[in-house]
Amino acid sequence: MKSTNSEKENKIPAIEIENLTKDFRVGMRGVKLRAVDNVSFSVNSGEIFGLLGPNGSGKSTTLKIILGLLRPTSGECRIFGKKSSDISVRSRIGFLPEAPYFYGYLTGRELVKYYARMSGVPSQKIEDATEDALALTGMTAAAARRVKTYSKGMLQRIGVAQAVVHNPDLVILDEPTAGIDPIGSAEIGDAIRVMKSRGKTVVLCSHLLGQIEELCDRVAIMNRGKLAVAGTLDEVLTQRDKQLAVIGPGTPLTPELCAELRERYGIYIEDVSQPRISLEKYFLKNLKK
Amino acid sequence: MSFLKKIFWIARNTFTEAARQKFFSFLVLLGGGLMCVSLSLTHFDFGDSELKFIADFGFGGIFLFGSVLSVVTSVQLFFTEIENRTALTMLAKPVRRGEFLFGKFLGVWLLLGVFVVLMCGVLAAVLAWRAGTVAEIAMARGLPMPVLNFDGIAVFAVFQWVRLGIVAAMTIAVASFAQTYLYAVVVSFVALLIGQLQYVLADFASEGKSQIWTKTLAEAATKFIPNLQLFNVGEALVLAPDGLSCGAIWSALAYGMIWIAALVFIGLWFFRSREI
Repeated sequence: MKSTNSEKENKIPAIEIENLTKDFRVGMRGVKLRAVDNVSFSVNSGEIFGLLGPNGSGKSTTLKIILGLLRPTSGECRIFGKKSSDISVRSRIGFLPEAPYFYGYLTGRELVKYYARMSGVPSQKIEDATEDALALTGMTAAAARRVKTYSKGMLQRIGVAQAVVHNPDLVILDEPTAGIDPIGSAEIGDAIRVMKSRGKTVVLCSHLLGQIEELCDRVAIMNRGKLAVAGTLDEVLTQRDKQLAVIGPGTPLTPELCAELRERYGIYIEDVSQPRISLEKYFLKNLKK
Repeated sequence: MSFLKKIFWIARNTFTEAARQKFFSFLVLLGGGLMCVSLSLTHFDFGDSELKFIADFGFGGIFLFGSVLSVVTSVQLFFTEIENRTALTMLAKPVRRGEFLFGKFLGVWLLLGVFVVLMCGVLAAVLAWRAGTVAEIAMARGLPMPVLNFDGIAVFAVFQWVRLGIVAAMTIAVASFAQTYLYAVVVSFVALLIGQLQYVLADFASEGKSQIWTKTLAEAATKFIPNLQLFNVGEALVLAPDGLSCGAIWSALAYGMIWIAALVFIGLWFFRSREI
């Protein structure tokens, strides 16, 4: 019976957004500014979903509506089948805002415990939940220090710890790797993978497109408040009209050979270059302890 | 988790955060230090009014530093949290805006309570120490013995706590719609000043010579800003032989509590519709 319920639960999208529009009134005259314009997409349970877009594209507004912090002007937003304005649904969500400032005079452990209490974790489970969240984010060693002494990377990691301390089903991370070095960024990436392996749904907003590409199952790209595209990375990125061949060493692809291949076999080679690894991969391979 | 528990933990966290800040310790040390310094002025020989001088010095210090602490801490712990997104992490949890705002207010008010108790404790110690000497001098000169009511200091502490509670609630109400830190601080201090000038404004409103619009403005200020002068009862409570009647004490405290409740609800009304 339990597994049937769980299966049903898994079929309910973690997030369903339908025709969402949000207008703000700005200035003394209350001029209307449309931040989100008729956006629809859904996030399936258990997937890592990337929400992308340039600054001012409406991502943060969309996230705030998902979290029930803003009311939409029109349209609907449901979290696990419930309206996002329903406060009970927030116990299933963990959230890390962009560049947050936490209570600097508390220690990391006190901070995570405080958020656990606010999330409704039963008092007898608070210690374990706190230690789990600290371990997941690699913050156990620094947990006795006051938050105001943390580096930017540690602040982000303690932020992730407070977001996951109540074992939420949906974790929303807004720029979790902003201002962090590639090693710290990779550690947060690892924590996100662990979340996925535990069956969590993760929504990731980031400008680090390499990381999004590496982590996400599906993405949605917003631009000027509208949804530009949504789908799996394959659907969005694959150029169906072109093919890529990796040719082994010792095969000189000279211009003459390319011309011959075109003439004799109709193979059109557009560009010849040598593959190289990304700077991030090089950094991680050579500098990670 | 019941809403009372959430409010309790928000208040406790707010108190812990504020009490660990250097600003609180600085004001406590400054206020307590100034009260002790007032003792060194005794060589001017103020005679039987010396206790009144020390008491007035203490009353003024408690209100001045308490008001600064109240406004700055309320803005710091409420408005700044909205500005730097800490509030987002809280309100993304199953926490209602009312619970957040009320918890913040209670945390600040608790801090003000600790401040008032510490300050009144120092004042009582300073007065007690000096009252002995003044009593000896009065006895030697055949003058009337000085009056010093220590129970009155305890009642005075409650009065100041309520008064500073009004200031904190007023600041949170302003911060709930303010768009900048400076605006929240300045408007709160202006409201505090108007609250301290209520009897002057009431006189101004009733004067026949005043222009209509200035009368209306003064009348509005007396109606919509709480009368903080009602709590200037230190002398009557501590140094007067008869003190204050129970009726006067309870009605002033009830007045203060009603204003606190009203201001917290006004703050909540603005905060509920605020887009953060």
